[in-house]
Amino acid sequence: MDQSDGLAYDQAEAANSMRERTIVENSLVVLLQGLHGQVTTVDLRDESTARGRVVNVDAYMNVRLADVLFRDRRGRVSRLEDLFITGRNVRYVHIPDNLDIADTIEKQLGKISRMRNYAGDRGSKKKTNK
Amino acid sequence: MEERERRKINTTECDDREEASTSNPTTHPGRKDESPLRGDTEEEDSVKLDICSDTFDPLLALYSPKVPLPFPNIKCFNNVSEYESFLKGGRGRAKPENVEKKLRKAMEGVVDPERIKRLKDLMVCNVPKVGETSAPPRRKQQKTHKNVVSRMQLNKGSPLGELYRCVEERIRVKVHIRSFKGLRGLCSGFVVAFDKFWNLAMVDVDETYRDPLLGEALYHEKALTITRLFEKLKLQESSEEMSRTGKGQGKSAQPPQPGPSGGCSTDHQRLSRSTTRFSEAEPGAKEAKAGGSEGAVGTKAQGKTPHPYGKVHTRHLNQLFIRGENVLLIHLQPL
Repeated sequence: MDQSDGLAYDQAEAANSMRERTIVENSLVVLLQGLHGQVTTVDLRDESTARGRVVNVDAYMNVRLADVLFRDRRGRVSRLEDLFITGRNVRYVHIPDNLDIADTIEKQLGKISRMRNYAGDRGSKKKTNK
Repeated sequence: MEERERRKINTTECDDREEASTSNPTTHPGRKDESPLRGDTEEEDSVKLDICSDTFDPLLALYSPKVPLPFPNIKCFNNVSEYESFLKGGRGRAKPENVEKKLRKAMEGVVDPERIKRLKDLMVCNVPKVGETSAPPRRKQQKTHKNVVSRMQLNKGSPLGELYRCVEERIRVKVHIRSFKGLRGLCSGFVVAFDKFWNLAMVDVDETYRDPLLGEALYHEKALTITRLFEKLKLQESSEEMSRTGKGQGKSAQPPQPGPSGGCSTDHQRLSRSTTRFSEAEPGAKEAKAGGSEGAVGTKAQGKTPHPYGKVHTRHLNQLFIRGENVLLIHLQPL
């Protein structure tokens, strides 16, 4: 099941534009993209926190969480099925203890470069007449 | 055959005309004209069939099997309009460039073994790996592939290069985190990765922070500036000591730092002075704003009246990602 999830996310990543891919590749958002499917806590700028499963993180750090326990800045708790957080509003993302940061980054970068080569083969580059 | 018939007709006509002309003197010149008809037919034919001659007979030429053409290798057209369009140098006329283009387009889908061979020759390793082919990867291999990990190293000589040194040498750093205005808290830990936005991936983080002030306190807090940061830190440490020895409120995470008891009185004085400058709630922030290595106390604000807001908290996080936007400054642990 993990494998199929990974494939789905790979396809989602393939749908990214070239621009998004370069942004991701050159910033620490790769680490956050390695969190797909994990349960983490996101601390927001306004002191509220959201704990849930990471569905997707894009190049601009916009985070989509599922099955979320949302504690707002006043301390009120609510349960949300789906939560979208704008990248700018993120302050912290808690990385699960079982994840190795350097390892995750390397893996994600590998995925991206493979994706790029695969996409290149498909014909996104122009034909040469040579 | 037709020609012979026609000659017969001509000759019979001529005979008739001749007979007629004997009676008629005006036909003399006519006779002269007609005499070549009756004369040497071969010569006549060649002269008549010669297009350039005066005595060219088109009807004869059409029916004759061999008509000598002055330019035998000339281009043939089916009709006059065709000739006309040829003269105009027509639009769809096949210029050599166009012809080549058309051919190439026609050949597009078709596999050209020669081309494939040429492309293969360009390849570095003839066995293509998964997803890799021909020229582009080869160029990219020559160009160092840049990604976030490689870029960490590129910053040598700049402040970010200093941060890279912290990553390499595993230096403990203190990261000041910002709130809307001014300092929120302090994160002490080791940096594992960073990027140009100052996003940080940290491990073994001790975070000390204060809840945001609300209402009037926030308004009063306007006086707080970043330049007072270190001053605040020092005061916080000492005030923490003060509050612990004085009030004994809250729980202390670690045993108190040795030494400051002597300096307590002076600190207390400083503290009282500072309270006149800042709002009441702020000392609450100053307290327990210790360096991350010391245990911070979750005490309420200093002063007679306990404050419901502006509480200071501390927590330990094993792995944390900090968005660069929230980083005020990074402070290396003294070497």
